[in-house]
Amino acid sequence: MSKSLLIISRQAPWSGPGAREALDIALAGGAFDLPIGMLFLDDGVFQLAPAQQPGALQQKDLSANLQALPLFGVESLYVSARSLQERGLHEQRLSLAVEPLDDAALTTLVARYDQVITL
Amino acid sequence: MKFAIALFSPPHAPSSRRALRFAQAAIAGGHQIVRLFFYQEGVHSASSNVVSPQDELDLTGEWRDFVHAQQLDGVVCIAAALRRGVLNEQEAQRYARAAANLEAPWELSGLGQLHEAAQLADRLICFGGP
Amino acid sequence: MATLHMLSHSPFSDSRLSSCLRLLGPSDALLLCGDAVYALQPGSAQRQALELMPSSIGLFALDEDLNARALDGPQRLQVVDYAGFVELSCRFDKVNSWL
Repeated sequence: MSKSLLIISRQAPWSGPGAREALDIALAGGAFDLPIGMLFLDDGVFQLAPAQQPGALQQKDLSANLQALPLFGVESLYVSARSLQERGLHEQRLSLAVEPLDDAALTTLVARYDQVITL
Repeated sequence: MKFAIALFSPPHAPSSRRALRFAQAAIAGGHQIVRLFFYQEGVHSASSNVVSPQDELDLTGEWRDFVHAQQLDGVVCIAAALRRGVLNEQEAQRYARAAANLEAPWELSGLGQLHEAAQLADRLICFGGP
Repeated sequence: MATLHMLSHSPFSDSRLSSCLRLLGPSDALLLCGDAVYALQPGSAQRQALELMPSSIGLFALDEDLNARALDGPQRLQVVDYAGFVELSCRFDKVNSWL
């Protein structure tokens, strides 16, 4: 049986390649049919903010890659409720269907996975 | 135990040296390293062009020598490398770039190699940041 | 599953330590390397936060980083060298580095 991997994405979308490269790990894992989960934490929640205009920064639109996650079989998508709240973002108005978790649920989530990469 | 070691930082970051010292200690402790996978800024830790003053640590040299001596699988993520200007001879020719700065023992490959290593290993350890 | 969380950023200008502390499970442990050992700075809120962690949570630091910065830890701190670091990574079920 395959080992499960949780990717914790903490980078804001336009702060460098970090957010994109975290997603690439998830998508690659999905492409290989591995059990992958993704958690958006801290500034990583900004990747899910609605109505972003990456073209203004001449950057690729990250949301296309985000939308691809379920298509690649990565359906275990989570977000820190606290991180959202700290940043004034609302669960109902995110660009991706993710499950909000409180801190206790995050502890349980991390414990459940065989491996984790936090970037 | 079998370790998969992923490096996310360049050679001047303390974490790159820390990763090497960990890897050396793992081997000294009788463990195996399934693969080294260099991603994000870690691709620079495989550069053959880093010049260190004689009285300073030559970390890219140490990494290279370690991989050679232990006959390890040293993989650099090709996508991360290209966007950071780390190219082997083949890629330098493919993209008509003046010079290559990645040589043996390092191989360019995809994220699939990271996932495979993580599946084969008992432990996945990542190093990055300061 | 018990996780060894590894930190290397200074906690004074960075949120990784506080985010990590919120995620820790009761049988997890923290390994401080690099600038993260500054969290042991006496008189700091960060040191206090580490001292207040439940006693079931292991607190480790890499010897070379403590020595370089002339830092001591609280009594609960266990100092490891690289061999000890490798042993820790085997002892815990997984290692989570806050990159």
